[in-house]
Amino acid sequence: MSLFNRRKPEKLALTANSPVSKPRSTEAPSSPLAAELTRLLGPQKVLSAYGERLNYRYDAILVGKTPLCVVLPETTADVVAAVRAARAADVPIVGRGAASGLSGGAAPLEESLVISFTRMTKLTIYPEQREARAQAGVITLAVSEQARPHGLVYPPDPASFRTSTIGGNLGENAGGPMCFKYGVSGDYVKALEFVDVDGGIHELRRDAFDLAGLLIGSEGTLGLITEATLRLTPPPRFTRTLMSHFAEVGQAAEAVSQAIAAGAVPAKLEFMDKACTNAVEDYLQIGLPREAEAVLLVDTDGDDLATVEEELALVEAACQDHGGTVRRAADDAESAALWRARRSISPALGRIRPQRMNEDIVVPRSVLAEVVREIRSLGEASGFHLVQFGHIGDGNLHPNILFDPRTESSEKVHELAYQVAQVAIRHGGVLSGEHGIGAMKRDFMRDAVDAVTLEALWDVKRALDPEGMLNPGKILP
Amino acid sequence: MNHDIPVSQIGPQGEIMAHAIEACVHCGFCLPACPTYALLGDEMDSPRGRIFLMKEVLEGELPLFDAAPHLDRCLGCMGCVTACPSGVAYGELITSFRGWSEPQRNRSAFDKAKRVAILKALPAPKLFSVAARIGQYAKPLAPLLPDALKSPLDLLPEHVPAMLDLPKFTPAQGTKRARVAFLVGCAQQALAPNFNAATLRVLARNGVEVVIPEDQGCCGAAALHTGARDEALKLARNNIAAFNPDEYDAILSNAAGCGAGLREYPEVLHGLPDEDAAKKLAAKVMDISTFLAQLSEDGGLEPFMPASRPIKIAYHDACHLAHAQGIRAEPRALLKLIPNVSLLEVPEGDLCCGSAGTYNLEQPELATQLGERKAKNVLSTQPDMVASGNIGCHTQIQSHLRRQGSGVPIHHTIEILDMAYQGLL
Repeated sequence: MSLFNRRKPEKLALTANSPVSKPRSTEAPSSPLAAELTRLLGPQKVLSAYGERLNYRYDAILVGKTPLCVVLPETTADVVAAVRAARAADVPIVGRGAASGLSGGAAPLEESLVISFTRMTKLTIYPEQREARAQAGVITLAVSEQARPHGLVYPPDPASFRTSTIGGNLGENAGGPMCFKYGVSGDYVKALEFVDVDGGIHELRRDAFDLAGLLIGSEGTLGLITEATLRLTPPPRFTRTLMSHFAEVGQAAEAVSQAIAAGAVPAKLEFMDKACTNAVEDYLQIGLPREAEAVLLVDTDGDDLATVEEELALVEAACQDHGGTVRRAADDAESAALWRARRSISPALGRIRPQRMNEDIVVPRSVLAEVVREIRSLGEASGFHLVQFGHIGDGNLHPNILFDPRTESSEKVHELAYQVAQVAIRHGGVLSGEHGIGAMKRDFMRDAVDAVTLEALWDVKRALDPEGMLNPGKILP
Repeated sequence: MNHDIPVSQIGPQGEIMAHAIEACVHCGFCLPACPTYALLGDEMDSPRGRIFLMKEVLEGELPLFDAAPHLDRCLGCMGCVTACPSGVAYGELITSFRGWSEPQRNRSAFDKAKRVAILKALPAPKLFSVAARIGQYAKPLAPLLPDALKSPLDLLPEHVPAMLDLPKFTPAQGTKRARVAFLVGCAQQALAPNFNAATLRVLARNGVEVVIPEDQGCCGAAALHTGARDEALKLARNNIAAFNPDEYDAILSNAAGCGAGLREYPEVLHGLPDEDAAKKLAAKVMDISTFLAQLSEDGGLEPFMPASRPIKIAYHDACHLAHAQGIRAEPRALLKLIPNVSLLEVPEGDLCCGSAGTYNLEQPELATQLGERKAKNVLSTQPDMVASGNIGCHTQIQSHLRRQGSGVPIHHTIEILDMAYQGLL
């Protein structure tokens, strides 16, 4: 399996007069699994025709193999039925949310049953407990939208929060700009329901062994998360936003270190380099500084305005000390526009090159400036478009290699990605902060994790999924 | 994304399609912006899914027959274009694809007849008006009719107004500030002739002289978006001949769909001899709201009489204004010029009302669901009045507001400006 778009082996001949030659088949395939699932769940929840299945082979970065069958469950009982039928047919199972993930987690690598959770959208808010109970397919943003009238929000905010689902977020342990001060998705889980590989339903709380913690970030390789109880918090009363831009990338990283050392705990602390800024500016045209080599975007928040302003002043001073030009957002609208810009980086990179390899490294803040500069020079030496952005407050960087598979070598991209991963590991960092390992970074795991620990991870996998039926080919090499 | 589309075999439209497909990084940001994904929750009925389906069909990997139901369900609202950070030209893709694939479609005789009838009646206001009148009398029979005939009847207003003859030339009042040509729109002339009358009055009052070129015809958007490419080409060429861009400061439309249609001519004629003429024409095309907003910035508009009481107006963004042409601020700015008027924002404002050209007639079930949702969202703002800039949205929202028992009126933005000038607000 190549990491990137795979060419299909069979090709139909095209003629000038009829670009679409004979239909391959307009009939549903006679897969016994599809037939059994249709019998169990009814035709509305089962997709078996080729044209319906082929759209369930990709996520936001990888195109995998067309699934054998797709199920759109509405209840946990539907999931159980699907899992049992797949086991009986000896077909691997891949869970899927909105498929906005960036490590290939939801893209099947072999012929599988895809369980797509987009119809499991039941959401209940319990304001007095400050909790939400969400089925896996609930859109992340919907939790905060429905909690807000009760004076509560759900802080984890991955860039894709308008699209992505709670199940997918928990499967990948998604982060987001808020993670510096407020943590990642997994930090907000109070309880978790999951279906195991045999179709058993489990309800986990965060006591005894933290099995919920094990499921979170397991990318569907240990079980299928079907529902979760999420912790809600009151939103801070005040938020202030600042943008600063720099003539050099390392300066931005140094400013971040100084601000944090001085005691600022920004709610969000994001970084984007020149290529990112320009790709987004092409899309939104909101007047981002196109010439700057690095842009920092910072929110401070809290219930005490004086403290919020004080923290912003600390950040402002740190930026200025490192040569940054500072602009404070005049109002909420300006602040919202800046954050929309940040959230659009990842897809906007498609304007530069059609395909990319996304890294998700986390390094100690003390070495940030060095790491950012090292990765930048690797990119320059390689001849590829290598861009960087990320949750720099957490030391979580997303170096992205942009390429055109028709003119540039996928192997060379992979090589460069490996070198970037090595930089992180050499500086005491890890391979994934929030997007998971998936298929994209699996090869790097042997370098990042020692052999004994890797074996322990395999032991866990074998304990919960002895035959390797859950999302095969992901995470563990 | 990667593709193996035989561009050279398909020709210039193939280039357009391949270019759009290449730009898609399948990030999924378009999913929440898509009305059919919101209703159906299936990847195939999302923009990302449709792009993959079109790619597979163009590559010869998937029979058109399998992809068609999902592609047919696309409203062409362009909500996904606004949401797409990668700049995928989805509109150009689906329009070109429909034109390319229609000759290969195997439609039933009834379907074919219906499409011919729609495409013949729409561009002929007189014929449309007669059909609408017949329909109006047939309304009581609706329960007896098959669904396919019920849906167009449902949309007809209670009373089909009399046709108005529009003057070929309207002089400017006071100092002449500009000379424009005006596209009158087809269905609009039959269903809401006052939109055009109001437009002429407002323009003249502001020193604009208006020419209505006699040889103009339908913009061709309906034909183009339903895949009747030859018909669309004919209509486009006719208008290119009818409107000479050198003679006018602007070519105006007051129907979002028609304005967007004119602006699409360079894509329609891409690679053909008239491409340059199409570009010249398209560069002069403006929506009435953009034109008036520019006049307002550049020397001001004649002052409006204040509304007689505080009026709350819910402004509805027509997809072909907001998404296809990026026009959001201008109509709002104009309405805010009227003293005593305040504007309300409709929840889920970016979601299509379900009218979408001929969608109402071809996908009545989904169109109805979207219409109901839009009417509920509009009513949740408790407006005194609704404003929109497109005849399609106008009929759809009006019909669903009534179905929900609401008497809230809906007007074209230009009608409200005109009323304010006449002290009727």
